[in-house]
Parts: sequence; C-alpha cells; structure tokens
Amino acid sequence: MMPVDHLLILGAGLFVIGFIVVTTRKNAIAVLIGIELMLNAANINLVVFSRFDPDFLQGQVFALFVITVAAAETAVALAIVLKVYRHFKTADLDKISELRG
Amino acid sequence: MIELQDLISPTDYDPMINWILLLLGIPLLSFISSLFIKKNAPIWSTFLLLVNTGIAIFMAFSFWYGDSVSIKGVWFTLGDTVMSYSFYLDRLALLMIALVNLISFLVHVFSMEYMKSDRNKPRYFAYLGLFTFSMLGIVLFHNLLLMFIFWELVGFTSYLLIGFWFEKKTASLAANKAFIMNRIGDAGMLTGLMILFAQFSTFDLEAVKALMIFSEIEDGNWVAHFTNNGQEVMNSLDGRWLSAAGIALFCGAVGKSAQFPLQVWLPDAMEGPTPVSALIHAATMVAAGVFLLARVFVLLDAQALEVVAIVGAITAFMAAIAALSQFDIKKVLAYSTISQLGYMVMAIGVGAYSAGLFHLVTHAFFKAGLFLCAGIIIHQLHKLHSDEIKFNEQDIRVMGGLRLKMPVTFLCFLICSLALAGLPGFSGFLSKDAILLNATAWAEIKGGGYYIVIGLAYASVILTAIYIFRLVFLVFTRGFRLESILNKPGLMDKVKEGNLILLIPAILLAVGSISIVFGANVKAENTWFMQFITNPIYLVPESYAAFSLVDLSEATIKSLHGWVAIVSISLAVGGLVISYFLYRPISKKALIFQDAPEPRGALGRISFNHWYQDVLYEKAIVKFIVIKGKALAWFDEKILDGFVNGLAKTQVVLAHIVRWFDKYIIDGFVHLTVSTSGRIGQATRSIQSGNVQTYILSAMILLILLLLWLMI
Repeated sequence: MMPVDHLLILGAGLFVIGFIVVTTRKNAIAVLIGIELMLNAANINLVVFSRFDPDFLQGQVFALFVITVAAAETAVALAIVLKVYRHFKTADLDKISELRG
Repeated sequence: MIELQDLISPTDYDPMINWILLLLGIPLLSFISSLFIKKNAPIWSTFLLLVNTGIAIFMAFSFWYGDSVSIKGVWFTLGDTVMSYSFYLDRLALLMIALVNLISFLVHVFSMEYMKSDRNKPRYFAYLGLFTFSMLGIVLFHNLLLMFIFWELVGFTSYLLIGFWFEKKTASLAANKAFIMNRIGDAGMLTGLMILFAQFSTFDLEAVKALMIFSEIEDGNWVAHFTNNGQEVMNSLDGRWLSAAGIALFCGAVGKSAQFPLQVWLPDAMEGPTPVSALIHAATMVAAGVFLLARVFVLLDAQALEVVAIVGAITAFMAAIAALSQFDIKKVLAYSTISQLGYMVMAIGVGAYSAGLFHLVTHAFFKAGLFLCAGIIIHQLHKLHSDEIKFNEQDIRVMGGLRLKMPVTFLCFLICSLALAGLPGFSGFLSKDAILLNATAWAEIKGGGYYIVIGLAYASVILTAIYIFRLVFLVFTRGFRLESILNKPGLMDKVKEGNLILLIPAILLAVGSISIVFGANVKAENTWFMQFITNPIYLVPESYAAFSLVDLSEATIKSLHGWVAIVSISLAVGGLVISYFLYRPISKKALIFQDAPEPRGALGRISFNHWYQDVLYEKAIVKFIVIKGKALAWFDEKILDGFVNGLAKTQVVLAHIVRWFDKYIIDGFVHLTVSTSGRIGQATRSIQSGNVQTYILSAMILLILLLLWLMI
C-alpha cells in the first residue's frame, strides 16, 4: 500500500496547482478547470482518509457525491460563463470588474 | 362719620341736564360743522352761537332765583374707585355761561367782517366753537379732573388760535410760548389735584368741600376722616400740604390767568387775530384762572390766600408799569389785561370773592370792547396798505386823529377806557372800588407789610389811568401821523369808520361797561351782582382758615368806604390828568411822537421791556436749558451712543472671532471627519478591485494565516 503521506502530498500539490490556476489564469474557463482540479484534490484527500474508516467506504462515497455535484456545478458555471461572455463580450476576468469599489 | 359714596352717588334725572348738554353741544356742533362743512362756516357758526347765547341768557334768567342745581353721575369705575362726573349750576355758573356765550357771540359777529378775506375762515370759526365748548365745560363741570381736562382743552384752543397765522414765525413761536407757560402752571394744578385726591379720594368738588369741612388739624397733621363703602378711612398729611394744595391749584391759575411769574406769554399771544385776543386773551380764557380760584376758594387756607394776594398785586403793578411805554396798541391792552387779572387774583387772595368775580365780569365787557375797538382800527388801517404804502398798522406811532374819522369807535373806546380807569359812572369803578375796599380792610387787619400789597394796588390805579388815556390821546387826537411819516397828505381821508358788523359788537360791549347795567348805584355792594354773589365761608379747618371778610362789621366797612372811594377816584382822575399833560394834542411828547424812539432811561427801559422778565428767562432759564440740552446731547452722542456703538463694535469683533472659530475649529473638525472617512474610503476601495481572483487569493492567504495561527 502506498503510504498516506505521498497521497496527501499529491492531493496538496493538486490543490495548489488548481489554486494557482484559479488565481492566475485570465480565462474564465481556465478558472473553472482550476476549480475542478481543487475539487479533485479534495476528493483525493477524502479517498485517502477513507482508509482510516473501518468500512473504507464513507470517504469514497462522499468523493462520488463530490464528483456528481461538481459535474452539476460545472454545468451551471459554464452556463454562467457563457452568459457573462455574451454580456461582456469577453471571458477575460481582469476585464470583468463590476464589483470594483 | 360722613360716607364718601353718598356724596358722589348719582342724582335722579333732572331736566336741567338737557339744557346743559344743549349748551355744550351747540358749540361742539359749530366746531365740527365748521371744520368739515367749510361752506358758509362763519354765518352758520355765528348763528349757532346766537342760539347758544339765547339759551344761556334764558337759563340765567329763569334759574337765577332757584337753588343751585347739582347733577351727578358715574363717569367710570376703576376697581373700587368710582369716578363721578358732576355738573353744578349756581349763580356764578349761570353768569359765566351767559358772559362767555355773549362775548363769544359778539366776537363771532365781529370776526365775520374782520376775517372776511382770510382763506382759512372755516378753521378759524371751528376753533372759536371749540374754545366756547371747552370754556363752557370748565364752567359747567364741577369735578376737578373734568375741569382740568377742559382747562387743557382751553389752553390748547388758545394755542391753536394764537398760532392761527402760523406761517408767521412769531405767531407760531408765541403759540408755543403760551402753551409751554400754561403747561408749567398746569403741572402745579395737577399737583394740587393729586394732593386733594390723596386726601379725599374723589375729584368731585362738592364732595371735596363736604369732606374738607369734616377734616381736622390734629397735632399739626391734616386729617380727613370719612367712610368709603362703609369702610373707615383716615387720611393724614402734614398740615402744610393743605397750604400746598391751595398754592398748587393757584399755579394753574397763574399759568392760565397770566400771573407773575408766568405772565410773559400773554403779550406775545397778541400775535393771534384781534377778535381772538378780545375773546380769549382778555375776556374769558384768562379769566378761567380766576374762575377756578373762585371754585376752590373755600378750600384755600390762609397761607395760600396770602400767596395769591401778593402774586396778584405784584402782577397788577408790574404789568401796569409795562403798559406805560408800549408802541403796539394790542400790547398795551395785553399788559392792561394782565394788570386787571392781577386785580382779580388779588381780590380772591384777600378774600374778596364776589368783588374779584365782579371785576371779572366788568372787565370782560370793557376789555373785550377795547380789543374790538383796537381791532376796528387795525382792520381799517390795514385797508390803506398798498404797494407804496407799507406800515405796521398796530403801531400807535402811525395813528392819531382817528376821532374825526371813526367817531363811533372813538366813543366806544373812550367808554371802555373810562371803565378800565375806574371812573365813577362806569362798571370798572364799581368792581375796582369793591376790590380796593376789601383789600384795604384786609390790610388794616393784617397790618405791617401787607400795606405794601395794597400800595401796589393803588399805584396800579393811577398807572392804569395813565396808560389807557395815553392810548386814547395818542390814537384819537391830533393829526394822522402816518401822513407825515410817509409824507402823503390826504391819507387820512381814506380812513373810514368800520361797518356795522364791526361796530355793533363794540357798541354792545361799551354799553355793558356803563355802571347802570349793574344797577343805578355808586356803591358796589348795592349792585345786583354783589347782592346775589356773596362771599362764601372758608371750609378749611379753623386753625388754617384765613380771616374772612364776612366777619367784618358793617361799621368798619362804612368808615373805610368813603376813604377808599375818594382815594381811588382821585388816583384815577390824577392819572387822567397826568396823561392829559403828557399826551394832550399840543404836548411835547405828542408833537414828536411819530418818531419816538424806544425809551432810554432806566425806568423807561424797565417798562418797555416788561421788567426784563423775558430777557431774564431767556438768559437764565432758556439758556440754562439750552446748555443743559447741549450737555445732554453731548452725553447722548458721546457716552450713550459711544456705549451703544462700543457694544456694537464689540459684537462685531466677537462675531469675527466666532466666525473664525466656526470656520477653522468647528468646520475644521467636520472637514477633518469628512476627509478622514474619505481617505479611509479611498484606502479601502483599492481592496475592492472587482477582480474575483484577487479576492480568492486574499481569502486563501488569510485562511492559511488563520491555520498557522491556530496551529501555533
């Protein structure tokens, strides 16, 4: 069995990568991808920690739920991105700063 | 104990009130209608006055023998104090209403012609109506406060009429002078009213008299003891207030009747139209003071009466001296009026109530007559005025020889002059004789220095004869001096006798100056006047009461009478003779009179300038007041205004400081708050970049920091 540490490092790395993608990429689609990465990093953690569960299943089931919800979320997010793009004629997040104070 | 409310309680309806209201109402109607319906004002108001005179004379005849009538009512109520009004008709009042109305009517008639060419006729007749109304008010009302109100009204009308030709500076100044001098006297009178009110709590004269009887002198205090609404009242004043009240009331008479030291207004009052001088400043208004003294006569104590007598004698003498050297015909008559008023006042002062009033009546006739004659002369001479001929028609230096051209006027003037001089056969003799007799009896009893008082009175007799015959000789005898002054012979032919409207009043007044009107008698005490109007008895507490002439035995009077009559007649005749030698047509003085200069000798100057009283007032009082006024003005301008201005300046400076404080401290604080929050806003808004990625980054960093903090 792979040691837990390696898997956690993988999850953390994946999360960091996703986070960096989310914070640095200009394109909204890319940001969505980053979010996806971060969700999956969380999933990895869930799956890894389910090893300590006597049934081995709770974390994995939860990960399945996450994947399902993430899929739905992605669909909604894509729709929003599409609407944003139609509205602002761009998907560049730097240019969409309506919340600016 | 006497109850005050009983004394002033309203009386039952008396038909007499209608007569009284009619008497007062008609002149008032004349005033109002002349003022507002200007058309035909002279005829209309003269007619009204004729009606009023008719009523007055009718009343005098029908009520003469009846008892005196007193009508009282409530005027107004102030808290518990009831102010009553009251009318009182006794023989004196009846006589006065007849006299006032008659002379007023004659003056109205005379004025119709005299004021014919004046534009302001309606105003003039309105004032005459108002005057008659107010004068009748004084006579009819028997309440000191109401009398005072009418007294003031009379003074005010006199002011209006003296200043009738107010375009003339001298006239308006004379009006002011008369008014101010009267005010000084009235202030005194008001004081007297207040003293009596303080003591008796009422202004009603009858009530005051009744309460005066019951007042007493206790330990030098004057105590009035009575009940008011059932409550016992005890008013006590120092005994000297009793004299003070009398003297204060006399002050009113001093002002109105032109007594020393306030008499200076009367000569100046001659600036008014001559008929006005006849009515107001000779016959009636100036006699109001004497009338008032007669009304309060019984309330005067010995000391007050003494003051009255002395002031009267001084006035009589001073004015008689002044009348000797005047050039203005009206001025001579004015001083003569003052002098005769002095006689009346002196008569009251010595206790000769009826003699004083008798002189008031006789004087009213002959002095009004003299003034009207002077008016005729002035009026007729005025007609000579043309572009080349200009002169002062009141100056006796331009007159002379008018006897030939104005025989009727001359005759009237002569009769009135004889009456004024006090020669037997004329009314003035009777009244003056009565006064002198009483004054002599008074001096006999008092003795000592009081002989000086009657000495002045006797001296005035001779002076009176001198000055009035000086006038007669200079105005009516020798040639017309204006001819030689202007070098225009034949000017005299242009002088004409006045017409009937002018002459009839003068003739009637002259007839009234003949003694037969008062009874075919040489002795004053046998005239109907002295029979009907007798000396009353003093009501003041006994220790303060003056010696009463009523107590004088008939034998004493008889023994004095012959002597007094001889002395006064010989003095009057002596005056006539002196005057004849000085001013007869061929005398030295009459020859050069046309360019007679103002007298130069010390005595002459004193006479011409009326004892320099005006100058004294000018130098001492007026100057003092002006200096005081200037000082006050300086004080006002520099100190008070300075203070106010300083206050204002301080305010402005303070305001500037406050403004600075507002601007820099308070506004600064507000601005600071604003800019601080602005800066904070500016600072914080940069965080709100609107970039979601930044938000996430910062959230994450904070989360990590939180985790780190939790772990440590």
